[in-house]
Amino acid sequence: MSNPWIAIGALAVVALAIPLTMMAVSSLLRPSVPEQGKRTTYESGEVPTGSSRQIKFNIQYYMVALLFVVFDIETVFIFPWTVIYSDAAAEFGMTTALLPMVVFIAILAIGLGWAWRNGAVQWVRSPRATKGADTYE
Amino acid sequence: MVALPDWMALAPALSLALASLVLLLADSVDPDTTNTGLLAGISVLGSLLSFGFAGWFITAGTGMADSTGVALFNNQLVVDQMALFFMAIVGSVTTLVVLASYDYVAEHSYQAEFFVLVLLSATGMSLLSAANSLATAFVALELVSLPSYALVAFLKENKGSVEAGLKYFLIGAVSSAVLAYGISLVYAATGVLRFDGVATAISSGTVQTIVDGSVQAQAGDPAVPMAILGVGILMIIGGVAFKTASVPFHFWAPEAYEGAPAPISAFLSSASKAAGFVLAFRAFAVAFPIGDLLAAGGAINWVMAFQILAIATMFIGNFAAATQETVKRMLAYSSVGHAGYVLIGLAAVSGSGEGLSLSMSAGMSHLLVYGFMNTGAFLFIALAEYWGVGRRFEDYNGLGREAPVACAAMTVFLFSLAGLPIGGGFFSKFYLFQATLNVSAWSLAAALIINSALSLFYYSRVVKAMWIEEPTGSRTIESYPMGLYTAVVGAALVTVLLLPGFNRVSEIAFQAAQLL
Amino acid sequence: MAAFTYAPAIVLLPFVSFLVALFAGDRMPKGGALAGITATGGSLLLSIWVALTVAGGAVHNEILYQWTTSVETLQLNFGLLLDPLSALMLLIVCLISFLVHIFSLGYMNDEGETGLPRYYGGLGLFTASMLGFVVANNLLMAFMFFELVGLCSYLLIGFWFRQDGPPSAAKKAFLVTRFGDYFFLIGVVGIFATFGTGLFAPITQGGEVVAESFPMLAEHAIVDGEVEGIAMLETVGMGPQAWFTVLGLLVLGGVVGKSAQFPLHTWLPDAMEGPTPVSALIHAATMVAAGVYLVARMYGFYALSPTALAVIALIGGFTALFAATMGLVKQEIKQVLAYSTISQYGYMMLALGSGGYVAAVFHLTTHAVFKALLFLGAGSVIIAMHHNENMWDMGGLKDRMPVTYWTFLAGSLALAGIVPFAGFWSKDEVLYEALIHGFGTEGGLGTVYLAAYAMGLLAVFFTGFYTFRMVYLTFHGDARSDTARDPEPVRWNVKGPLTVLGILATTIGFINMAPVAKLTGAHIDFLHTWLSGPEEGGWPELLSTDLHHYEELLHEVPHVDPAYPLGGEITTLLASAAVSLGLALAGVLVARSLYAGADPVEHTDKLGGLKTLLMHNYYQDEYQVWLATGVTYPLARVMNKFDQGVVDGVVNGISSVSLFGGSRIRRIQSGVVSNYATLLTLGLVLLLAAFGIMGGWF
Repeated sequence: MSNPWIAIGALAVVALAIPLTMMAVSSLLRPSVPEQGKRTTYESGEVPTGSSRQIKFNIQYYMVALLFVVFDIETVFIFPWTVIYSDAAAEFGMTTALLPMVVFIAILAIGLGWAWRNGAVQWVRSPRATKGADTYE
Repeated sequence: MVALPDWMALAPALSLALASLVLLLADSVDPDTTNTGLLAGISVLGSLLSFGFAGWFITAGTGMADSTGVALFNNQLVVDQMALFFMAIVGSVTTLVVLASYDYVAEHSYQAEFFVLVLLSATGMSLLSAANSLATAFVALELVSLPSYALVAFLKENKGSVEAGLKYFLIGAVSSAVLAYGISLVYAATGVLRFDGVATAISSGTVQTIVDGSVQAQAGDPAVPMAILGVGILMIIGGVAFKTASVPFHFWAPEAYEGAPAPISAFLSSASKAAGFVLAFRAFAVAFPIGDLLAAGGAINWVMAFQILAIATMFIGNFAAATQETVKRMLAYSSVGHAGYVLIGLAAVSGSGEGLSLSMSAGMSHLLVYGFMNTGAFLFIALAEYWGVGRRFEDYNGLGREAPVACAAMTVFLFSLAGLPIGGGFFSKFYLFQATLNVSAWSLAAALIINSALSLFYYSRVVKAMWIEEPTGSRTIESYPMGLYTAVVGAALVTVLLLPGFNRVSEIAFQAAQLL
Repeated sequence: MAAFTYAPAIVLLPFVSFLVALFAGDRMPKGGALAGITATGGSLLLSIWVALTVAGGAVHNEILYQWTTSVETLQLNFGLLLDPLSALMLLIVCLISFLVHIFSLGYMNDEGETGLPRYYGGLGLFTASMLGFVVANNLLMAFMFFELVGLCSYLLIGFWFRQDGPPSAAKKAFLVTRFGDYFFLIGVVGIFATFGTGLFAPITQGGEVVAESFPMLAEHAIVDGEVEGIAMLETVGMGPQAWFTVLGLLVLGGVVGKSAQFPLHTWLPDAMEGPTPVSALIHAATMVAAGVYLVARMYGFYALSPTALAVIALIGGFTALFAATMGLVKQEIKQVLAYSTISQYGYMMLALGSGGYVAAVFHLTTHAVFKALLFLGAGSVIIAMHHNENMWDMGGLKDRMPVTYWTFLAGSLALAGIVPFAGFWSKDEVLYEALIHGFGTEGGLGTVYLAAYAMGLLAVFFTGFYTFRMVYLTFHGDARSDTARDPEPVRWNVKGPLTVLGILATTIGFINMAPVAKLTGAHIDFLHTWLSGPEEGGWPELLSTDLHHYEELLHEVPHVDPAYPLGGEITTLLASAAVSLGLALAGVLVARSLYAGADPVEHTDKLGGLKTLLMHNYYQDEYQVWLATGVTYPLARVMNKFDQGVVDGVVNGISSVSLFGGSRIRRIQSGVVSNYATLLTLGLVLLLAAFGIMGGWF
């Protein structure tokens, strides 16, 4: 048997090569039309505020990011749980298998509900961000 | 008697967590609520319940049947006398703090958040008391820390508060990193995170693993690399030192205590400190038994490390407190000094590892008494802030004439902190002193005496200002806030009552320490 | 025993009345007096119940509250010891206090005094402290209440703090007794250090001794030679008897101060500045009695030391005579009574020192009754005379205040020791005990007893004289001032207590008519029986605070034995009684011949220089003031120099070093968070490096 690391190494080489080639090819082919909108930092479609050297985003961006993390973690826990759920329910009974997860989700739900009610997902555009957006639209 | 299910042993922590969830729900129902009474009521109820459970379990003797206590979740959490003792401290301090905050936050927005953060942090402390593994301890510690960063910066419009919060956060991040690295090194060296497993690894000298909840030697009997273990332990000491505001991790404390809202200063300097100490007590008594460590050789003599830290902390805290100009900052430094006193609990141990239970119980007793007197003192500052009294010593001149009850309570706190026999502080310091003499740790005993004498000097400055000096400017006190007053007077009452009741406290503490 | 369960309430009730008077006295009718009366009345009933239970043969010695456990060799407790002695004392204190409270209605309320809540609060606390002292089962608790008693006396003597006299008298009382208490405190510490316990009587459970008392430990050490357990003896390098004598004498310092014995008696006459009911309470039942009671309480300890006994007897005899002579020339009615108190407590000390335990307790009892009576009578006279206390302004009050006169007369007869009034029986027994033990005891101790006896006997004559000089001047003859011609009438609340005490003063002596008992062979010496308990078993076995045990000790250790110089026991007894009665009568008659006329003259001038000496109380005050200003003050100045120069210099040096160090440390706290992070990391690295090198990690 050959070393399995060879295959992994090859994959890495290919993974690096594809984007690099694409960038190289496009820079050869495209016309160069520099404008401000193209040079701003791109981050999830958010319009940055302040100067481009110290990039700042609207606070709500972070809020959403945090909420995303909540769901992310939820998924991380729920996923393995669903895999073993039926076996566990068969061995220990449904309450033991189900209840902790219900409590866990309930806690997260309370947090989410609170954040929602307190306007964490309410998208308010700050005047500054809006102003910045106006200049290049 | 009804036998409660095992998980109910965590009731002190659970009631705090539940109260915070209820608060979140209440705030979700009406996000713009300014019904401070309701919010504070829920919080007081939750923390009182927590204290009540802890007290009940202690008197009912939960976790005293054998030396292991009630083990939960594969020994990740253990509820024993020590855990309950600290849960009681946390519960009582939290009660006082939320009670006092009722008046304090009434003028601020984001009231629900304030109480939620306090309760979540308290939940972390309660859990930390029961943590029996480095992993759970770390998670609980972060649960303590994260809300407290936000709480310090709670006064959003106040530059001092925000700055203090940021500094606290930065130093906290550094310290957490140090602690996490220490934990990882210990894990690397011993192969386990559970305290009893670490202890087995140290005593047997081989790397362990946990199979089906029981600790076993790893296949091939690899030896524990003592040097790595030593570095890890030292870094854990660092993490603990941050939480307890001990030298050299104390830098955040004066700034955070001064900038934070006064009830939060009380909370951080009492409950948070106690939480740091419970981690230290449990980890070093259970996971890193000094006798085995010294026998194994090559690792670290943590008793000596704690001796150095204790003496340095006592001196730096008290000396700096002596030259402060503002009362709150003086209290902040004195709180650093008190961390030094409590460190004696881990430092007054003889070369062969004897005397640990006596010194630890002395430290625990001091923490309990300190929980009341120090909280009370900071709450008095909150009262003064509420009245618009200035921050300097001179601003307190003649306050005794306008608010005799509160000032009498403050006098009790300060003298008890100094160790005069007016409150439980006298006995707890005396007990610490005894612990040092027990193992002939003369340098610790001398440091304790010198610093207590010095502390009397700066504490009495406040007392002198309040009672003896003539008031300088015109100052009128318009209202006497109920919640704050109740908390201050209650704390003073308990401080005094701990004088006759200290016996019982020290008994429980001694029992708890012996069970470990 | 149910009575013992409620016994703590005896102490707590007056304490509650103190709180009530203090905090709610303004809003109550009579300024808190009713609370005090109810409380002391309740205590009195409970004490009677306790006394009845004790009479049934039950005793009680229990720890109620323990403060310390961490030190195993030393236990500090609060506890109750209820035996015949304390039960009797409880009765006395409660009764006197109850009557004083009622009397105060007349003396304070009816006179329109202000500050009544403070007054009744003081009385309540005073009573509570004394009761706490009486029931204390260990020395430390006794000391604490002893101090509280002192504090209360200070508060009450200085009740009229706006005048000049009372505050300074209060200060004097406080300081002089404190001087004695200082030795007492050292004694307490010494006893705790030596024996590890301060219990007066062993605590037993089911016949097993669970906690030994210090008198018993001392007894074991001296009688049985068990000195191994007492490490202190080696430390001080003395034999047990010598060291225990030192301890006993130290405690005696407190006794001498509180019971106003020579040379610390000077506070007591000044204390007359306080309200008269307070004087009655201080002299009869509380403060002054505390000293003598303490000696009786730990008699088992003193009985082991012949030296201590000799000192007690000598102090007692000397004080009895010394104070009586000073009482001869006083012009104010309360001053005479004050010196008589000092003198009478001298008798009690004499009795205790000379092995007359029963006699001392007996005299304590009778004296409490008749001295309270005399003071309240004097108070009645003072009300009538609009607070003029000079006897030369009185006269002829006999017909205008008959109740006061007759009761006062009963008290005076008791004080003078005229048969069959109370004082005769007790004083006679004191002298008789001193006499027979003086002859029976070998060596120096016997001689001391005889000397003390002689002084005590001489004092009897003076007592008779000054007492009746007082009676004649106050009540007989013609009125010498306008107020005396038309005195203010007194009400029931004055007459009631006087009547009760008057009857008691006449009859209380019958509880222990030892001479009659000896003559007839009838067992009517009840107090003797009360204090000695049953022959076998019972409480004497449990507590060893019984008379029988003390007599054995006195016989075995200091060899105090009786002997009858005049034929047999009966003859000696009768002769002694006859001599003392004769002397007392002689005193009365001399007083009568000098002062009984319608218009008596001051005969004191005939005494010449002696009068000046007596009027100035043998220059006691002057000599003590000289001690303070002439000796102590210069010494203090030298000490002050040393203190300022050397001690303060060191202290100041340390404090400036501390402050300098503090300001340096402050500088580290620069406020820049990156500095903090640097320092923190450096600190950690330093520790790592140090421990790494030490542990050999690298």
